[in-house]
Amino acid sequence: MMREEWRLIDTGVHDAYYNMALDEAIVIAKSRGLVPVTLRLFRWAPSAVSIGYFQSMEDEVDVNVCKQMGVDCVRRRTGGGAVYHDTEGELTYSLIIEEENPLVSVDFQKTYETLCAGLVRGLQLLGVSAAFKPINDIVVDGRKISGNAQTRSMKVVHQHGTILRTVNPTRMFSLLKISNEKIRDKMIRSAEERVTSVNRILQRNVSFEELKTAVIRGFEEAFNLTLKPAKLTVFEKKLALKLAVEKYSSSAWNYKR
Amino acid sequence: MGKAEYKVEGGKLVRAQVWLSGKMIQKVKLTGDFFIHPEVFLDELEVALQGCMLDEKVLTYFIRDFAAKNHVILLGVSPEDFARCIVMAGEA
Repeated sequence: MMREEWRLIDTGVHDAYYNMALDEAIVIAKSRGLVPVTLRLFRWAPSAVSIGYFQSMEDEVDVNVCKQMGVDCVRRRTGGGAVYHDTEGELTYSLIIEEENPLVSVDFQKTYETLCAGLVRGLQLLGVSAAFKPINDIVVDGRKISGNAQTRSMKVVHQHGTILRTVNPTRMFSLLKISNEKIRDKMIRSAEERVTSVNRILQRNVSFEELKTAVIRGFEEAFNLTLKPAKLTVFEKKLALKLAVEKYSSSAWNYKR
Repeated sequence: MGKAEYKVEGGKLVRAQVWLSGKMIQKVKLTGDFFIHPEVFLDELEVALQGCMLDEKVLTYFIRDFAAKNHVILLGVSPEDFARCIVMAGEA
């Protein structure tokens, strides 16, 4: 029997608005049956802060500091917290899969765990002893190395998340609003203890290519399938540009809460 | 208008802004790093809460009932958490 095939798309480096728009465009393409299950790998340039669907940009992000530092700010279509996406520090993935796929449960918690198995396996292949931690994290010795968020619409599950290659809490907290300035240093120290990265664990400089190869193999092994490199469809490219301009870079979307 | 933030057991943060007329909610805005499926439910809940009394038990019951009726899944936050934060904001 032939192994199941998923589509693999490496979209390289893009700005925050296009990155979030392309995720939605792939979801829409999937909902219309135009594309197969898709694993997308990507990075962010300029570096960016994304906030969860239910967060307030004004409450969470110091937009002025972001502007000064050339950091984009965008609202995600998924819930969860504010995330700093560093160009050199993070590999991001998106998995777009139909709701009726056997890997998807009606139980969100269970589905996080199932779909995160690809990342967990990928990190293990690199030599990182990663494990899933509910609700939606992957940790190494209790320290977070990957955060994940999921949403469902149009009978499609969209899960995206981070894989930290390096981590810089000082920079991250300089971009986020802290309710009490006196606790900023404490929060930075706390984050240094709670968060880790691939480079820190392995004590060497892991290239993005090596990281991507491991993640791809991790998904293939965890789900017993083949990831076939492919290109975006014209439909996805056009829709992503439209959504980037009209939705994800608009104040109406980014300041909607 | 009153504002409050409430750290949920498990680590999520809920923020509420509440506008009152006496003890009655005129308007409420809820934000935070939780998950709600489907997402549109929060907008609908905010509208439905208009006219409710600022009472934690009443609000918990109302939000739980509203979520159940709409087949809504809350992750990282509960009806009690929303109710508590709304009351904290109303009393702030």
